[in-house]
Amino acid sequence: MTLPNLQDYHRPATAEEAIALVQQHGEGAMLVAGGTFVHGLEVRGLLDNVTALIDIGRLGLGGISREGDTIVLGATTTLAAVAAAEFVGREPAFGALRDALTYPPPQIRNAGTIGGSVAAAAPLYDIPAALLALGAVVRTTGPKGRRELPLDGFFRGLFESALAPGELITGVAIPPPPARTAGAFLKLETNANDLAIVSVASQLTLDGAGRIAAVRIVLGGGVGETYVRATGAEAALAGQQADDKAFAAAAKAVSGDFEPVTDHRGSAAYRRHIAGVYLRRTLTTARERLG
Amino acid sequence: MKKKLITLEVNGENHELAVEPDESLLQVLRNRLDLVGPKKGCDSGGCGCCSVHVDGRVVYSCMMYAAGAEGRAITTIEGIGSAATGLHRLQQAFIDAGAVQCGYCSCGMMMAAKQLLDTVKQPNEDQIRLAIAGNLCRCTGYTKIVDAIRLAAARA
Ligand SMILES: Cc1cc2nc3c(=O)[nH]c(=O)nc-3n(C[C@H](O)[C@H](O)[C@H](O)COP(=O)(O)OP(=O)(O)OC[C@H]3O[C@@H](n4cnc5c(N)ncnc54)[C@H](O)[C@@H]3O)c2cc1C
Repeated sequence: MTLPNLQDYHRPATAEEAIALVQQHGEGAMLVAGGTFVHGLEVRGLLDNVTALIDIGRLGLGGISREGDTIVLGATTTLAAVAAAEFVGREPAFGALRDALTYPPPQIRNAGTIGGSVAAAAPLYDIPAALLALGAVVRTTGPKGRRELPLDGFFRGLFESALAPGELITGVAIPPPPARTAGAFLKLETNANDLAIVSVASQLTLDGAGRIAAVRIVLGGGVGETYVRATGAEAALAGQQADDKAFAAAAKAVSGDFEPVTDHRGSAAYRRHIAGVYLRRTLTTARERLG
Repeated sequence: MKKKLITLEVNGENHELAVEPDESLLQVLRNRLDLVGPKKGCDSGGCGCCSVHVDGRVVYSCMMYAAGAEGRAITTIEGIGSAATGLHRLQQAFIDAGAVQCGYCSCGMMMAAKQLLDTVKQPNEDQIRLAIAGNLCRCTGYTKIVDAIRLAAARA
């Protein structure tokens, strides 16, 4: 068929077995969770050197749990299962995640997993942008033991992450958001299955006087090789009253935060403009969600 | 490449199959089980005409490895109704609303719509359009497909 060097499709029962298989096959090993990204690589002929597909669906890494106030999304939890979680649907602090999960079509939500969406390291994906805004931490296990890798700094380039060879994501931990925090996410795309032109995830924390006590803004889509933290826009907002004037200043500042690409979907100038507009809209929505 | 022996549960029946380890669920359904309702369109998860249900939820069968589908319940359009066993209300509504032109997208559309109707009894237009956002139709302009899904819901 299409993987000329494939020897077998494995369905290990434990993480240790999966890691051992990865070590055995080295460069030829390919982990498969939902397979929705893997398939895209396969049809583009990018997996010709793969000797082993290693399905991680039976490792027991699915499901959502709580450790105190920290929420842990198991690596093989589907996007649909996260979208159905009560706290995602209800709490303003998870607004960006909730919004992001509405974009993939049902077929992708039902198959795609949290771990796969993060490991793919494609800034075009929406869910990791929301997780970045939430300050999430990737949990892994591998030949050298367990690690916790903050998503800030996890993405190293297009399709490149901080994962070491043979390292497996076991889950993504979301630290408890501070009180009076709300998020929102927006993406511009041409249709449900095209790549993002620009996406913006905003996370806003207000103090008792309505000032911005903390803010995290993440840009995705055709904004570069990885997600971008919009530090200029964040600085423009920090400590300000959360009003339209501050939001407009941030919308202006954000255009200096990234070097967008130009392609048939949109020019760099267009992407800069849209980032400003969408930033303003996500901030406004986040503020509304705080009531 | 060594073939893999798997048991697939499709439309309530178990099939023992020897498949290539990289064979997609779509290929196995069409080429080994003669279930040609699911279509090969883009073969890269974007057009939706290969849509089937796995454990009651709609997925693109072109993107799932058959070997990974072992142990799960697969349902194709053939499993929800046929001329011989009686049409599903979605199939009847697609006929009655004229929601079919070339027909290539129809089976996938109905499988996507089925997940919606399984969970929402009387969906509104937004819910219907979102439910089929992962399915392309090049003929109908979608309006009659949306009408058909609404009609099927009304007949529940
Ligand atoms: C048609 C289409 C539309 C889409 N639309 C959207 C959209 O609108 N918004 C959006 O955000 N995303 C979208 N996506 C992307 C989708 O979210 C990802 O493809 C999906 O989340 C990947 O998860 P998976 O389980 O299928 O990953 P897989 O394809 O199984 O794996 C992805 C990569 O991660 C590796 N991997 C998987 N799990 C682990 C793990 N636990 N540890 C280490 N490595 C791992 C794999 O080896 C592979 O390299 C779309 C994809 C398609 C095909």
